[in-house]
Amino acid sequence: MYGKGLRPLSIATVAMLAVSLSLVFFYAPLDGDQGFIQKIFYIHVPLATVALFGFIVGGLFAIAHLRTGNSKWDAYSYVSIHISVIFGVAVLITGAIWAKASWGHWWVWNEPTLVSFLIVFLLYCTYYPFRYAIEDRDQQARYASVFAVTAGAFVPLNFLAVRLAQSLVHPRVFATSNGGLPGSMMLTFLCCFAAVALLWMTLVKFELSAKSASGQVKRLRRALDAPAPGAGSRIAPEVS
Amino acid sequence: MLALLADAPALPLDEAGRYVAGAYVVFVVLLVVYVAIMASKLARIERELREVANYAERQAAPERGSEAPSIPDSLVPHGAEEASDV
Repeated sequence: MYGKGLRPLSIATVAMLAVSLSLVFFYAPLDGDQGFIQKIFYIHVPLATVALFGFIVGGLFAIAHLRTGNSKWDAYSYVSIHISVIFGVAVLITGAIWAKASWGHWWVWNEPTLVSFLIVFLLYCTYYPFRYAIEDRDQQARYASVFAVTAGAFVPLNFLAVRLAQSLVHPRVFATSNGGLPGSMMLTFLCCFAAVALLWMTLVKFELSAKSASGQVKRLRRALDAPAPGAGSRIAPEVS
Repeated sequence: MLALLADAPALPLDEAGRYVAGAYVVFVVLLVVYVAIMASKLARIERELREVANYAERQAAPERGSEAPSIPDSLVPHGAEEASDV
């Protein structure tokens, strides 16, 4: 069920990533201010945006779970947050590399954009121990959903607060006045954004399919009353 | 493709180039690590499925005698039949 459409989605993702990387390195002009280093933004910014959207989407799935009680939504929420945390790791590393190249420091603590993203990332890192500390599956799913909703609401508030902060260090990709990106850069950026968004969707679907397959095997094992290897050790939500 | 590459400007792989390459390599490495972890998970699922299929067949065999296996073909992973025959 979860694997339906995974193959075309994967093919579209690979194609879009190939097109995007070609545009980044062979089409988009060099930035007059930053030079070649600016090309990091074509991967860094889409990853950050998609990761933050993923956290919000995880919260929306959690709302659906709390409203319906259907564990399917809990699994969607868990996987959305899981993939977004992985993207968050990539955001922090690529951002640090850009900061080192541009500012000469891997990290700048008085920059609100960096610190706020780190806070959001660390907040979601606590999702795992919080979730896995609860043994009862229903209770675990319910508490995790409440966490996902609360943290998901925090993400846009945090983004707005940072956007309103008067920092002169971290560049703004979409300027609020006087233009913004030129056409060729914007096209490249949008392609990269689409590619990363497709990648996120593919990985979410892939992870859900794997969890679903694992859940089906467990169901089959239970139905046959077969001995389970290391039963009870799994803490991630079971998808059936 | 080769013509496009020939016409493309040379990438400035100096100091800045190393940082840009580093950022994209990090992205690719994270992706590859994730895929590798998922591949190992899928391998484990396949192994468990094979075990369940073998268990079900062993359970069903004394009752059915020479009848067809109880697990539908769609649930038997590729290579499981050959593996069980060996």
